[in-house]
Amino acid sequence: MPGSNYDRDLSVKEGFVLKKFLVKWEMILVYIMVLINVLLAVIKPDLYFTHGTVQSMINAGLDVSPLVLGMVFILLLGDIDVSVAAQMILGGMVTGLLMDKGLPSLICVIVGIIVCMLCGAFNGFCVAFLEMPAVITTISTSMLFRGIVEIVLGENSLKNFPKWYNKIGWMNIGGIIPLSMVLFLIMGAIFIFVLHKSPFGRKVYIVGNNPTCANYSGISVKKVKMQVFILMGFMAGIGSIFFIGRMGGGLSSSMGTGYEMTAIACAVLGGVSTNGGKGKMWGPIIATFIMAFLTYALGLMGIDPNTKKIVIGVILIVTILISTINKQMIKDIKLRLFYHNNKNIEAINDRTAAAVKDMKKQIKELEKGNASDKAAQIEKLNKKIEAAQKECKEKSAQWWAEQQENAKKAKERFK
Amino acid sequence: MKNLLKSRNTGLIAVLIILLVIARFLTPGMFTSTSLVSMLQNNTIYALLAIAEMMVILTGGIDISIASQLAFVGISCTTLACSHPGIPGIVWVLFAIVLGALCGALNGFLVGYLHMVPMICTLGTMYIFRGLAFVVSGGQWWFAAQYEELNGYRTFAIGQFLGLPIILWITIILLVVAGLFLGYTSAGRRIYAIGTSRESAAVAGIKEPKVTFYSFVICGAVTGLAGMLYTANYAIGYYGMADGFEMTAIAICVLGGVSITGGKGRMDGVAIGALIMSVITYFISMIPGMSVWQKSLQGGIIIVAVAINYFTEQSAKRQALKERSALI
Amino acid sequence: MSEYILELKDVVKTFGGVKALNGVHFQLKRGEIHALMGENGAGKSTFIKVITGVHQPDSGIMLLDGEQVTLRNTTDSAKLGIAAIYQHVTAFPDLTVTENIFMGREIKNKFGFYDWKTMRQRAKELIQPLSAEIDVNKPMGNLSVAEQQLVEIAKALSCDARILIMDEPTASLTRNECLQLYRIAKDLRDKGVSIIFITHRFEDMYELATRVTVFRDSTYVGSWDVDKITNADLVKAMVGRELNSMYPEKTAKIGDVVLEVDNISKEGYFKNISFNVRKGEILALTGLVGAGRTEVCQTIYGIMHPDSGEIRLEGKKVDIKSPIDALNLGIGLLPENRQTQGLVNELPIYQNVSSASMKQFVKGGQMDVDKEMENAIALCKKIQLKANDITAPPSSLSGGNQQKVVVAKMLSSDQKVLIMDEPTKGIDVGAKYSIYEIMNSLACKGYGIIMVSSEMPEVLGVADRVVVMKSGRVTGEFGDMETVTQEMLLEASLKEREGHK
Repeated sequence: MPGSNYDRDLSVKEGFVLKKFLVKWEMILVYIMVLINVLLAVIKPDLYFTHGTVQSMINAGLDVSPLVLGMVFILLLGDIDVSVAAQMILGGMVTGLLMDKGLPSLICVIVGIIVCMLCGAFNGFCVAFLEMPAVITTISTSMLFRGIVEIVLGENSLKNFPKWYNKIGWMNIGGIIPLSMVLFLIMGAIFIFVLHKSPFGRKVYIVGNNPTCANYSGISVKKVKMQVFILMGFMAGIGSIFFIGRMGGGLSSSMGTGYEMTAIACAVLGGVSTNGGKGKMWGPIIATFIMAFLTYALGLMGIDPNTKKIVIGVILIVTILISTINKQMIKDIKLRLFYHNNKNIEAINDRTAAAVKDMKKQIKELEKGNASDKAAQIEKLNKKIEAAQKECKEKSAQWWAEQQENAKKAKERFK
Repeated sequence: MKNLLKSRNTGLIAVLIILLVIARFLTPGMFTSTSLVSMLQNNTIYALLAIAEMMVILTGGIDISIASQLAFVGISCTTLACSHPGIPGIVWVLFAIVLGALCGALNGFLVGYLHMVPMICTLGTMYIFRGLAFVVSGGQWWFAAQYEELNGYRTFAIGQFLGLPIILWITIILLVVAGLFLGYTSAGRRIYAIGTSRESAAVAGIKEPKVTFYSFVICGAVTGLAGMLYTANYAIGYYGMADGFEMTAIAICVLGGVSITGGKGRMDGVAIGALIMSVITYFISMIPGMSVWQKSLQGGIIIVAVAINYFTEQSAKRQALKERSALI
Repeated sequence: MSEYILELKDVVKTFGGVKALNGVHFQLKRGEIHALMGENGAGKSTFIKVITGVHQPDSGIMLLDGEQVTLRNTTDSAKLGIAAIYQHVTAFPDLTVTENIFMGREIKNKFGFYDWKTMRQRAKELIQPLSAEIDVNKPMGNLSVAEQQLVEIAKALSCDARILIMDEPTASLTRNECLQLYRIAKDLRDKGVSIIFITHRFEDMYELATRVTVFRDSTYVGSWDVDKITNADLVKAMVGRELNSMYPEKTAKIGDVVLEVDNISKEGYFKNISFNVRKGEILALTGLVGAGRTEVCQTIYGIMHPDSGEIRLEGKKVDIKSPIDALNLGIGLLPENRQTQGLVNELPIYQNVSSASMKQFVKGGQMDVDKEMENAIALCKKIQLKANDITAPPSSLSGGNQQKVVVAKMLSSDQKVLIMDEPTKGIDVGAKYSIYEIMNSLACKGYGIIMVSSEMPEVLGVADRVVVMKSGRVTGEFGDMETVTQEMLLEASLKEREGHK
């Protein structure tokens, strides 16, 4: 192999940096959650001392949690699945119908989940093999699935579900820890493992970021997509248990509308990009709790569920906008506002800023040291800084004037 | 002639005729002029929404907030009209167009200038507009009795002109105008241009944010008009109205041959798509016990339409390959 | 009035920290054809995008008729009479030829609506002298590359261009099409249009240009009169050093046949392709862009499937359904476009390196990250990757080092055959040399290497054997590299099939 003078240490140098960790999106979510709780505690102080309120907050918000976990995988692929609520209801209906027939509850539940997985497989087939856009596919399958429920159930509702469903929705272990939270955290841990440690998770990231490259690397994009959609179906099946439990063991065809949107909102709030490939698992898990507290808190403040939609919509849009802000964007805005779209002005300002920063650093070092001509040197540097800044200002002004002149000329010419 | 046979619209018209023939046998009373007109009148809102949705889909985006926009604008018109009953109906039509355009401008700004993904952005605004519809209405419902009291509010939907309801004339005129706009003006062609290739558009000096913005504004304006006409036509208004209509609008576009990835599709196709959709809905409403089938049928139609699009594209690709292999 | 119609001084343009143009100068005289030459990645394409206003330069000035101008966008440049035909045709494939010609300058009737009839008529008039066969109502996407280029020329003519820029227009044309293009270009020059002709080929330059400017590695090297500079000096200006020192000495021993391609065809792409590669051999697959070379490689790698014919690996017939099969059999592919096909820019280097051989890093159901990193570090050290550390994303690297990451990915599992599709495209001279060294050392290890390349000097410098393709067929094979010349290769790659127009 090529031999001459190559000496580089490629091993990982930067370990854990607290400063970076604290401004991670996931940590910001934690702050938001704390903030919401503090606000709640201030506004409704009795809340935290009333037995069971916090628990019911969590219980009320977690019926959507299995859908969130599945949705993260879908979004990581760069796809979307808006049929999850319909899948959930369809799976629940199958379970309920079989229960009515008197079959053993375990079989009914498993069959319900399998039906959901088949729904997911159908979506996956359309998206992966027929190359249909995921939005259109799942919009239409959501109509299809919910339509089937409407055909079968009509105005009726199902009441016969396993007894332990209700416990998932309402029980607190030892009267303190909500069962749904425990189950959600266990599932979350499994999902974190699958996404961040297993080869399958790695494949999802690769496919989500660059499907063409995945194909060239010997990863079957179709297979991965299919698997993820089936996994989503499985989670919709689990979701039906949580949902029906929360609803007190009843199901009708119009229930659970909008749950797909809440699930997507939680995932996006958790930092998962809808373009695919970006996001971590723990963000959406925290975001699910935030959403739970938020919805309950808004309810407590006497805001009705429809007005709440406005808040959720605004939060969704604002968080996505915040996550798109990056250095480049700030640079662009600066360029537009301060440098009159003139890259020459931007360049000299950047250069001067860098030079000034460098010199200021030198001054600091000089101050620390005890060279004999310390004062004189500092004085010299300070003068230099002043000169540089002055020159930068003058040049900028001059170029700006030139640019305006040019623009005028251009305007006349192009008239 | 060969082109005519190959064209997608010919196939759609054939489907339409077959549907009508079947309808003739299943519901004998269908071919009276009154029932045909009422069929069209009842489904014309879908056609309006399809025109709106098409503007956005052609750019390669999607707007799933139109049903919520419709509800918001419709409710706002109703509430204001009820508190100012003397104002003539035409004012509310104009008001609806302006308010709708503002809603569209919000979407257009977020998608065009702040580069949000259209699906997610309109998902957010879908929540917002639906919530606003509730806030404006205060949860109240309006029915025919209240609408009748308003001065000329309903005229723009149910009033007659040359033997047809005005709402139908509005739809027909809009179809023609939008078709001309898309086919014969630079603004319209630019919508196709950014939908077919953003990169080429940039090189050709087309400002993508601007085009995206105004396509959403047009979408909003048409949706707003549809919102006012909805309340006037059906004489009912509540914050949850038109739920799921965006799906039907998308279905009509896809059925009419609008490519979901943008850049392809014509207004005549969408018009025929809307006709097919209204015949199907009519069917469903005429046959007892069929109403529960509506959702799954519509869903199935979209999937089949997209799948057909996929297969025709595949065969076109194969055809192109064959043509190329003659050169090898 | 100044002697020059167009002048650019000290133009700088950066993309995300990488300098695409670094203080470039250019002067264009009135009514001349000026060749602009340089290797891939020398900054020529960026340069013309600056002239046409697609990109705004970070600094530097542009003078038109001696007067400073600032272009805000392409509409401005069009109004000033600057038109460009880009290398990658930038058309709207779904829109018709007419519409493509008039995009941005549509003819309207008195009501402000498009006058399609007049536009079609005008389009026909513009196209007719260039090619009689183009239907102006067809979608642009249905035309061949050469036809699309003619449409672009018609478009430039339609706006009365004073300055016409052609970016490698001859790269994918047949000999006859080239001659036609020369004729059109000379006609335009005689009508007073100043032309900037960007090209790789010396032939184009001698045929057309009176002056030539050379760029290298994003910088300006110099301008000369065409009849006053020798071929060797020009090559030196372009590549920065003498040609013979650009390629490492070949040291590999050539063994038995490892991969054999027997008579494979794929409708619409290629027909009856046969060749073989031996152990330790570097086989070059050359020809013009669009000759079907990439498709042949993709077929061997399982991305595409042949309609007929068979592929044999070490004498045994193999059925490759997907890249997974190919990798398992020991066939690797370094794809043509590293950005879209070779790398996941968002993931760290070590994950990229292991992405094609993930199985060997799975331990107890999870990825063994330590082992992955160890492996990646070992490989990257071998190929002398210049990166900060192994967790940096590939987007932070230069083009040459990005290519090395893709190479490392392919080396991460054992291969018998490595296909490299344009391995040195768009990377600087130094990085090219180290890619050649890597190829050489792989050949020493007994790899059979297939290198796809459009650059004749590279083919002559690196390969042990050359197969030339033209329009989906093999038109020549050269085994004795001592006697092969660039002209022979060029001739084979332009050879028309007998009985074909």
